[in-house]
Amino acid sequence: MASLDDVTVGSTVLVRDVDGADPVSIRLLEMGLTPGIEVRLVGRAPFGDPLELELRGYRLSIRRQEAARVVVGDR
Amino acid sequence: MARSAGEVRRLTVALLGNPNVGKSTVFTALAGIPTRIGNYPGVTVEEKVGRFSHRGVTIDLVDLPGTYSLLPQSPDERVVVEVLAGRMADVPRPDCVVVVVDATNLSRNLYLATQALELGLPVIVALTLADVADRRGLSIDTLELGRRLGCPVVRVAAPTGEGIDALRERILTASDSPAPAPIALVRPHDSSRAPAASEAIARYASIERLLDGLVQAAPDRRRLTEDRIDAVLTHRVWGTLVFAAVMLAMFSSIFWLATPLMDLVSAGMDAVSAFVGDRLPAGPIRSLLVDGILAGVGGTVVFVPQIAMLFLFVAILEGCGYLSRAAFLMDRLLVGAGLSGKSFIPLLSSFACAIPGIMAARTIENRRDRLLTILVAPLMSCSARLPVYLLLCGAFVPDRPVGVSWLRLPAVVLAGLYALGVVVAAIVATILSRTVFRGPPQPFVMELPGWRWPQPLVVLERVREAAWSFLTNAGTLIVAISIVLWALISYPRNDAAIDADVAALRASLATQVAAADTDSDREEFAAELAALDTPEGLDAARRGAAQRQSFLGRAGRLVEPIVRPLGWDWRIGCAAIASFPAREVVLGTLGVIYNLGDVDPGEREGASALERRLKAARWDGTTRPVFTLPVALSIMVFFALCAQCASTLVVIGRETASWVWPVVTFTYMTVLAWLGAFAVYQFGTALGW
Repeated sequence: MASLDDVTVGSTVLVRDVDGADPVSIRLLEMGLTPGIEVRLVGRAPFGDPLELELRGYRLSIRRQEAARVVVGDR
Repeated sequence: MARSAGEVRRLTVALLGNPNVGKSTVFTALAGIPTRIGNYPGVTVEEKVGRFSHRGVTIDLVDLPGTYSLLPQSPDERVVVEVLAGRMADVPRPDCVVVVVDATNLSRNLYLATQALELGLPVIVALTLADVADRRGLSIDTLELGRRLGCPVVRVAAPTGEGIDALRERILTASDSPAPAPIALVRPHDSSRAPAASEAIARYASIERLLDGLVQAAPDRRRLTEDRIDAVLTHRVWGTLVFAAVMLAMFSSIFWLATPLMDLVSAGMDAVSAFVGDRLPAGPIRSLLVDGILAGVGGTVVFVPQIAMLFLFVAILEGCGYLSRAAFLMDRLLVGAGLSGKSFIPLLSSFACAIPGIMAARTIENRRDRLLTILVAPLMSCSARLPVYLLLCGAFVPDRPVGVSWLRLPAVVLAGLYALGVVVAAIVATILSRTVFRGPPQPFVMELPGWRWPQPLVVLERVREAAWSFLTNAGTLIVAISIVLWALISYPRNDAAIDADVAALRASLATQVAAADTDSDREEFAAELAALDTPEGLDAARRGAAQRQSFLGRAGRLVEPIVRPLGWDWRIGCAAIASFPAREVVLGTLGVIYNLGDVDPGEREGASALERRLKAARWDGTTRPVFTLPVALSIMVFFALCAQCASTLVVIGRETASWVWPVVTFTYMTVLAWLGAFAVYQFGTALGW
């Protein structure tokens, strides 16, 4: 399964799941990265980390470490 | 509720919302300048309360820290939950909750709003940025949203004041109304997830259902413009270049633009000191007033221009949405040291002065990152270290080329001292984040808010608040410390002993003139001897003698065994101790201790007089010079790493609401400074520099 960290810049994917049940994964869900939602990888910071995402009409930045927990699939 | 006539009605209203939704704009529009700012008991979370009255009712507005969820993960979020539950000491349970909701980002903002509906308190939704949403072509049916949520929804545009009166009116009526019914969550079928995870998913499903058909989206040109701005400003190359330019502008403004203002403050304080000094007879009272109290007040007020300048920049960058982009760009650089992108601006500002830098760490929401940033910020070489570096580099580092002709050794040493602070800070932060501050990984989720114009009132309020909190919270303590140090330098005072000291100096100079090997030496000693017959020279010599006899002088002799391995004599030890209020004081103290009186090392003449005197300094009873290259390097390394700045330590205490952290900072920095100075002196001596 691909994670959000593997996505190429500019493409839009569908969130399938968020791994784990710890505070990090809860916070990702609370920020709106819930199963079924569309996410676009807007870009990466100069050193490749963190990532800039667009979802639910807003921009969110998360680190690669967190992005690796978000399981994604094609639209 | 039954109330007797004439009784003043009071309400407590909590202001809740996600970060970056214009909550502070709503606060300012409703209540103006806060009546109370402080920390909640026992935690470093800011408590901000404002007061206004509407139709004869006094309303206390409690501004809660920005939060994404009422399922708390950070101390800030825990405070929000405690206040809303009425469990926080000195804050009564709110009568009503105003949830600030960003109209351009409805579904994520409603996450918190629907949680608020479950509190059992009356709720009002204040819909901000609705004008921006309109321009983006998003039209929201406010009435229908209120009907579906089961609570009033008020459109507010704080900059124009639209909806603020309606919001006040709603606060009165809602506070007497029963709490709304919670939104029924759409529970998922699979129960394999953790309860908190399935709740989050269910809540978003309910919000999507609630918003169904409520928002009309037209094709959006603005959004495209915003995308283009973002494409440039977060671009690897262009974004980095713009970032460098913005940071350069910010840094030079706190470094150079604030200087004339600081000079003005100093000149003003000098005038006040002179005015007071002229009207009082010489004696302990005048000395206490001028050298103790007024010097302390001046030493506090002088920081205000830099603080105001930095907060002006930070508030503008925060208001337009660039602050999070800056953190986004720099995150990778700092994350290796256990910090985050948000630490960048506080650390950069600390090169001008650690005090505004430490205060700017308020923009870091994560408590752990904020504390780490505060602890290493004083390691950045601030502008107060520069005169020490410049004087010692100029006097004792040989001016010879390093490799190429234009690269001179003093410049290399200077750059090395700046690099030393950065490298040590990185090492300290790395070690601390893996030991003392080790804990469960904290999620780094940072919203990149939409681009918008900063609100002038909010910006000004931020500047005013920063300057005011520094003056009232830190200033009083800095003045107190200044008075204590004045006493240590001025007492005990024994005029007979001072006369004896000056007489001994005269005798020793006379012997040196007679025994001098070279003509230039003889001339120098003769000039020094002649100076003792002028009123200024005699006064300077008496002041030097008084200082050597004071508690400070005694402390210098006491610490001599500790500073000896650094190549220092007791006078340097003395000057290092006396520089506790501020590093640059070390030069002035050296001036007094070497009988120069008050020299201004910032002025060319003062610096060269001090330079000559330092070069002529000999170990007591020998002809061995005190100041050699290894000693000068050891002093500079010590001052690069030490925490000899009372104001910084006071501000750390205030910002962390604990006396533990200033003590920790002082201890670790002093130990590192000693070790660094020891290493460079022993190494340099062994190599025969």
